[in-house]
Amino acid sequence: MLETRNLDKSFGAVHVTRNVSLKLERGERRVILGPNGAGKTTLFNQLVGELTPDSGSVHLAGEDVTALPVAKRARRGLSRSYQKNTLFDGLTVEENLGLAAAVHTGNATQLWSDSLAKPEVREIVDEVAEQVNLMPYIHAKVSEISYGVRRQLEVGVALATRPLVLLMDEPTSGVGPEMSKGFHDLLNNLPRDLTMLIIEHDMDLAFDVADTITVLNYGEVVFDGLPEAARGSKLLKDIYLGSWEDA
Amino acid sequence: MFRHNALRYAVLVLLASAALFQAFTAEYFGLEILTEILILAMLVLALDIVAGFGGMVSLCHGALMGVGAYAYALLSTTAGIAPPVAMAGAVALTGAIAWAIGAICSRSHGIYFIMATLAFGQMAYSYVFEAPIFGGDDGLGGIARLDLSFIGIDLNDSRSFALFCLAVLGAIYGASVLILRSGLGRSLTGVMHNEQRMRALGLTVWRVKADVFGLSGMIAGLAGVLAAQHIMYISPGLLSWTVSGEALVVVILGGLGTLVGPLVGAAAFVVLKHELSAVTTYWHLVVGVLLIAVVMSRANGIFGWIEARWGARIERRLTDATRKPEAKEVLGDA
Repeated sequence: MLETRNLDKSFGAVHVTRNVSLKLERGERRVILGPNGAGKTTLFNQLVGELTPDSGSVHLAGEDVTALPVAKRARRGLSRSYQKNTLFDGLTVEENLGLAAAVHTGNATQLWSDSLAKPEVREIVDEVAEQVNLMPYIHAKVSEISYGVRRQLEVGVALATRPLVLLMDEPTSGVGPEMSKGFHDLLNNLPRDLTMLIIEHDMDLAFDVADTITVLNYGEVVFDGLPEAARGSKLLKDIYLGSWEDA
Repeated sequence: MFRHNALRYAVLVLLASAALFQAFTAEYFGLEILTEILILAMLVLALDIVAGFGGMVSLCHGALMGVGAYAYALLSTTAGIAPPVAMAGAVALTGAIAWAIGAICSRSHGIYFIMATLAFGQMAYSYVFEAPIFGGDDGLGGIARLDLSFIGIDLNDSRSFALFCLAVLGAIYGASVLILRSGLGRSLTGVMHNEQRMRALGLTVWRVKADVFGLSGMIAGLAGVLAAQHIMYISPGLLSWTVSGEALVVVILGGLGTLVGPLVGAAAFVVLKHELSAVTTYWHLVVGVLLIAVVMSRANGIFGWIEARWGARIERRLTDATRKPEAKEVLGDA
């Protein structure tokens, strides 16, 4: 469903992505681990088109999308959530989801009708609000909801485009343990045919959700395999996991 | 997102009533002032759509108004085309030019967007000023008003023309509401709040900005056509950046991003201008002080201040007033 081939990116002398090749099958849930500065978010930015790789290619559902801009990749089914909330702050939860759903359903540029009132948009808004537990806050403005709920909305907005592949950059970043636990259920309850690539620091969530794990270090893939194998990997403990197993 | 509330409806009704009262009771001078307000209101509505709901602060809307005025003048006088067709042609041409400007400028933001639109406006001003076809510094005269004699309306009469402008402004306001409530308008608001996210969702951002800029240009062009018909003479000064600057002052004075506010601003600005200029030649200083006070108060203009101070109270009262009959009905049944 999503594949990178020998992706490479440098900023001056800093080599941030080194020959990264990944292949995600349809419905696969892969978690990317790695210490700060490993190049995880830079890799995401190249996948969605916010950064152009120096070399290598990105393929979505068999199509080479490397040369496509952000919006066209999104319309082909690549959606992302951000590490820092990137929402429509002055608008309500419903409007946030509605804007995304309107783009997906082709109503975002209609001049003769209200996109947010369209039945197909309403259907997606209601469905996603249920999926990410936002129904109690549906009419609240973003500025009126808690940080944790905003993280849910961040994922919800990405989901409202009905993507083929969902990229999530640290979805639980900054949320407390209780809410983080809720995120496990939220992610596990998403449709099984949705392909997900998740950057995550929360080890419990990573091993709870992941089908496969990829570890980046200094922009390079140093581990790619099943969670069980990752748990026992000494290399991982040395570069990233530290005393996680002992904790 | 754009939405009307009870206060906004109330202010609209108040403004429309005042305009109608003035149109039916005022003498020539009063009617001229009213028409000036109505045409300025059209221009500032056009500007509020792009600046207040799209974050595109334009300094070329005066020039777009001038393009509409000159296009109408040339089509109706030089080319001899019937005024209704010339009006439609002028509005369409202004819309097309505005779309092109929007498409180019939409790739820039903030101060760079302002400067790019200013450059387009000044290019238009210089061209009109220099090109012989536009009459140079002398401008163009003998511009005919729309002929509605077939339905018994003589637009050469100041009262009829003021009422006609009021009807057009009403139609423009309605069209502006429809634009802002449409998918395109909703997306524009999304772009203003978070352009990066809208792009990441799959929206072709520049196209949305260009489309709305084009529609806004059509409104500015129509304001220009009516300005040309009003004075029956036009000069390059209509395209000057100061006209755009003045429109921006009116939008901010009235209340950016409210649609109703700019109407209040247009009325306040023109009345202030005429009242103060009768007292002092330095009336600009008073308007300047007022603008600074409005900006420093962070109240989003005169209408924003009214909304912040009395909005909730008026909203509650108006809501109660509309609910009372139901309560009486219930009591009656009991």
